[in-house]
Amino acid sequence: MADKRVILVTGVAGYWGSRVAKQLSLEKDLHIVGIDKTEPPDGIENLDFIQADIRSRLLTDLLEAEKVDTVFHLHFLEQAGPSEQAFDINVMGTTNLFAACAKAGVSKIIFRSSTSVYGARPDNSAFLTEDSPLRGSRHYGYIRDLLEIEAFVNGFRRQSPETKVVVLRFANIVGPTADSPMIRFLNLHKPIVLLGFDPLLQLIQEDDVVAALVYSLKSEIAGIYNIAADGIVPLSKALRLVRKRPIRIFHPFAYKGFELLGSVHGRPLAYMPIELDYLRYSWIGDLRKMQEDLGFQPLYLADETLREFAGQKSSEDEDEQESNLYDDERLHDLIERRRRAKELASNGDPRE
Amino acid sequence: MHDTEARIQCVATTKAGTRCKHNAIPGEDYCHIHRPITADRTATGSKRSSVDGESGTKDLTDGELREQLMEELDSLITRVQAISPDYRPSAYASDGTNGSTDEETEGVDPDLQNRILSRLRGSINEDLLDAETWKGLWYMVNYTVEYQSDIFKRRLSGDYDTDEWGLDWEFVEAVRPFLDFLYNVYWRIETTGIEHIPDYDRALLVSNHSGQLPWDGAMIMTAILNEHPAQRLARNLYANWFPTLPFISSALVKMGQALATVENGTRLLNQDELVGVFPEGYKGVGKLYKDRYKLARFGRGGFVKMAINTQAPIIPVSVVGAEETYVTVAKSSILARLTGFPYFPISLRFPWLGLMGAIPLPSKWYIDFGEPIATDSYNSEDTKDLALVSELTDHIRNIIQEMINNRLKIRRSVFR
Repeated sequence: MADKRVILVTGVAGYWGSRVAKQLSLEKDLHIVGIDKTEPPDGIENLDFIQADIRSRLLTDLLEAEKVDTVFHLHFLEQAGPSEQAFDINVMGTTNLFAACAKAGVSKIIFRSSTSVYGARPDNSAFLTEDSPLRGSRHYGYIRDLLEIEAFVNGFRRQSPETKVVVLRFANIVGPTADSPMIRFLNLHKPIVLLGFDPLLQLIQEDDVVAALVYSLKSEIAGIYNIAADGIVPLSKALRLVRKRPIRIFHPFAYKGFELLGSVHGRPLAYMPIELDYLRYSWIGDLRKMQEDLGFQPLYLADETLREFAGQKSSEDEDEQESNLYDDERLHDLIERRRRAKELASNGDPRE
Repeated sequence: MHDTEARIQCVATTKAGTRCKHNAIPGEDYCHIHRPITADRTATGSKRSSVDGESGTKDLTDGELREQLMEELDSLITRVQAISPDYRPSAYASDGTNGSTDEETEGVDPDLQNRILSRLRGSINEDLLDAETWKGLWYMVNYTVEYQSDIFKRRLSGDYDTDEWGLDWEFVEAVRPFLDFLYNVYWRIETTGIEHIPDYDRALLVSNHSGQLPWDGAMIMTAILNEHPAQRLARNLYANWFPTLPFISSALVKMGQALATVENGTRLLNQDELVGVFPEGYKGVGKLYKDRYKLARFGRGGFVKMAINTQAPIIPVSVVGAEETYVTVAKSSILARLTGFPYFPISLRFPWLGLMGAIPLPSKWYIDFGEPIATDSYNSEDTKDLALVSELTDHIRNIIQEMINNRLKIRRSVFR
């Protein structure tokens, strides 16, 4: 066990932490240590669970004692409304963890971010490269926290060059089991959209998120990468694919309405998982760095992620009429995906 | 994917000789543009010409004309049957005299059937056509209607494709009749120099900008789509005010246009696209009537750098006529600030007539494409030479100004 590479996963009780830990535990030559404040779900074999908070001052000792080589930092509260508690865990926790990693000589930290940090702006280029300015909205808690963390990581990379940092900026995550702002939006009974606006969306399937995180462990790569599935989906098409009929609101009324609701309730935007600007302008990450430098290829196409999502949801509902929504298409997608995966494997992609 | 066939690329080659980029119609080898261009076209064409050669259309008797019509219908039906063998039209039954509709027709509204047929009968000489011909006609009408409603149904379930810029060909095809109306009827546009546009290589179109609303960009796009043999879609780069406007923003994206940034232009040119820029920007569109056809400053030469970096030839374009679509006498900076517009025109009709004032006047337009200016003698190092860049910028500006002046000299009046 001593010569095994030690991987520490934060937030192992959460969705992403547990999924990555599970994926990693399949590797024979890795020793997985998971930390979180609560017990992780069952079913992760060989997980060495330690109950700890990422804000703990003893984190450096823990990392040193366990001889941790790589840290997956996946403890992140993705809340719409800004809250002090979330900020404390997300930003203060991250700063503490990164500082401890640098002190304990951890060689690599992998962090999950989002392309929403670029911000939805009318003057966005059609494809935003990784070095584009981060102009995300600060009204929403999770984007604000990500912006803080990104700014911190930027400084950290300069101060501690010996600790490699991988930041994966994922596009809108969609999938049947995960939880993300876009999933919450698509799950709304009547999603609200802005009349006459149809921003383009980039998507990524939840399985590909896990695959990308694990992939960045295997290769000797550091830096920031946009990660998204091939293909771009206009919002209206996305809603049609998941069979939702949105409510269209003229944008000045929508903005005013949410402002008023916010002033009454104090928690401004808790009704909408996605901020209005993000339903108005596109924010598309340039994927050339992912394809060329990282060499990672998500298996799902953008359309497929939505069909998979809608199909799984409808079979959960067990609605007689809807239960076979996309059954044929999804099987067809699956066959195509498996073919693509085989092609990738024959080209030297470590995934199966 | 909904349907394997739906993703198959059209196998046709465009007139330019490049591979068609559209998706094929489900169950077919061709896209909606190239569908009629099948082997049959040459056959029908030669047949028609031989008939013309023998007797000329004038001398044809009714019987001969009917036979000819039947022949063409037969070939059409064979073609439809080859395309979709499963297609069965709703029955059309004749009572022997002159095609009354079958009351027991399944699946089709008999009212609709009656209406279509009576319209057709009104427009074509009644005696000319017998029951068989009506049957064939009905088959074709049905096919067309079902094909259109198929597209509609498919789009409603979200099954359509866009490219990475959001270009939606079916949307372009849907708005083309309107653009064609503006192009052919409303502004009666005359285009010259279309041969300067390459068939498939990259090129940067640089044009003057005028007329308060970006109709000139739309018309340059329509001109190339209609007049150029390769039917290329120009990707105009628009100002960053438009993404903030409802409907306009999504329509621009669906028509494959992009925001004017250096990254967008460079990427499009590197994809061998035809990119259109308006270096005058707001200064050009918001021009007063008294300043018409005097080119404003051409920015800082970003488009020259873009062309040099991508080695794309620059094609100067002059649009004459668009200046007269709105007669702007003044601009209000206070109203511009209040409304959030980049400029607020006070014209003879706007804002006094409200939205009616936004309807452009039907002036006569001329679009001239000039000789391409090669940029491959420069390399990307030269873009750092600001003197060279501004010299080139001025050079192109002078060429366009000259093209405008020449056209203005020939032009007899605003409306002719």
